[in-house]
Amino acid sequence: MNSIERLTAAVNFQRPDRVPVIAQVFGHAATVAGVPLGEYVRKGEILARCQIQALQKYDYDAVFALMDTSVETEAAGSVLTYRADQYPSVRLYALSNVTDLDGLSVPDPHRAGRMPELLEAARILRREVGDDVLVVGCVLGPMTLATQLLGIEAALYLAIDEPERFSCLLDFATEIVIQFGIAQIEAGAHLPIVFNPSASPAVVPYQFFREIELPRLRKVFATFKQAGAVANWLHIAGPAEPILSLYPQAEVDIANIDYEVDPLDAQRALPEICLDGNIKSFAFVEATPDMIADESSRLMNLFANRGGFIMSSGCEIPPESRPENIAAMVAAARERR
Amino acid sequence: MSTPVDPLVNALLDGDQIQAIAEARRLRDTGIENERIVTDGIEVAMEQLDGKCTMEQFNLLEIMLVGRAVMGVIKELYPSGVPPLHTKGTIVMASPEGDVHDLGKNVLKAVLTAKAYHVVDCGKDCPIERLIGAAEREGVLAVAVSGLMTSLMPQVRQIRDKMTKRGLGHIKIMAGGAALKQASAESLNVDFVAQTAFDGARYLDQIAGGAHEQH
Repeated sequence: MNSIERLTAAVNFQRPDRVPVIAQVFGHAATVAGVPLGEYVRKGEILARCQIQALQKYDYDAVFALMDTSVETEAAGSVLTYRADQYPSVRLYALSNVTDLDGLSVPDPHRAGRMPELLEAARILRREVGDDVLVVGCVLGPMTLATQLLGIEAALYLAIDEPERFSCLLDFATEIVIQFGIAQIEAGAHLPIVFNPSASPAVVPYQFFREIELPRLRKVFATFKQAGAVANWLHIAGPAEPILSLYPQAEVDIANIDYEVDPLDAQRALPEICLDGNIKSFAFVEATPDMIADESSRLMNLFANRGGFIMSSGCEIPPESRPENIAAMVAAARERR
Repeated sequence: MSTPVDPLVNALLDGDQIQAIAEARRLRDTGIENERIVTDGIEVAMEQLDGKCTMEQFNLLEIMLVGRAVMGVIKELYPSGVPPLHTKGTIVMASPEGDVHDLGKNVLKAVLTAKAYHVVDCGKDCPIERLIGAAEREGVLAVAVSGLMTSLMPQVRQIRDKMTKRGLGHIKIMAGGAALKQASAESLNVDFVAQTAFDGARYLDQIAGGAHEQH
């Protein structure tokens, strides 16, 4: 089986030739290639080259056309601060001084900010790996993008103080997410992962997610499937267990679980949905290869009878991670049948 | 048994800033002193919220709303910015240099202020030297650093040595935030790693209690 066939088997609860393994290597690919992170997140060609090098080094099942969490908000007008060795951050939020949320225009993914560079990365990666390895693009979830357009404190207070305006903000964010995701699929991504940390129960209550975010996620994923996404992959970091049972309503095919979620609880909440996770991200910096191998084996044992599992980290593998720890997770999956 | 301060407690726990300020004004108009409004109103509300958080039934939105209501009431009671009379101690806090995320720090600030600590906020993207300088100047009980990025860890590890060199080795160091909370206190070379703002407040309550006993 190639990587796509292996992942498809896991998503459909069929038996793959081995447990698929996706290391959530984003900026770490720059570290591997000796490229400053500040360059990696600005040039699609550089990002793609680094991702291919990391794929050759680790031999896992997916590559990522993913820069950081500020791509969409920058395209919508936010001002970022770039640093040589870190991900960029928002210095001035696009909508911090905007009073009329109705008249906003959705940025064109082919022209705005770094969006074209990310599309270029997806295009190159797909050309390089074809349909052998999964090419994963990335969009923020509507709630997370809303917090990136306005700042998280202002966005959360708006949700309570002026719910109708907040609803307009979320609809605007949803439209950006949809347009950017479709462009990624057209450029070559097999799917865009929906990265949505601000929708975590650590940030907003269960009811907020169910009533406000879930309908928009449903729309996003339905559109992506229609545009040709091979699967719907939702990534909500943190203690997401209380909302997992709602994922089927958004037609999620792959659910990421962070280290704060008990894999057995996740299995109970999502008996028919493929899970990926959930080694603690920081363990890739601090732990030893033996510890990572043991944890990988423990996880694969938990899923041995059930299937529907992708070996992975709970969230991003930090850029400064020890390469031997990533290799240990991949080896654990590859050596197990 | 209900008390005249209960409506304030309820308004604070509801995160209703407007109602909470109105209740605080009402209490003051009936002759209740500011200090009692703080101890019987704000501190009681924070204890109840603390209990809820211990049961892991909390989220950032709720805490932010309660924090905003608390800060609104404190501003109403002490418009010149003078803190409540009996502080439990002074805490200096920051998000280290390179981290421009300060939401977690701001939540901790609201919680500690409501629990009668005097908080010196050095802001985000703060060089360690500035944080230590503030700790030295203010005579603090503890320094608190919040971080969202694992790449900050080397900076955090340096705090103790730098403080010790300046004769500040007795000051406790606490770390928290989405990235830092994944590490152990030992690996960060700090005294405590807080999983939540309330977890951090409980730790500070312990050392504040110890400091008071020594006096």
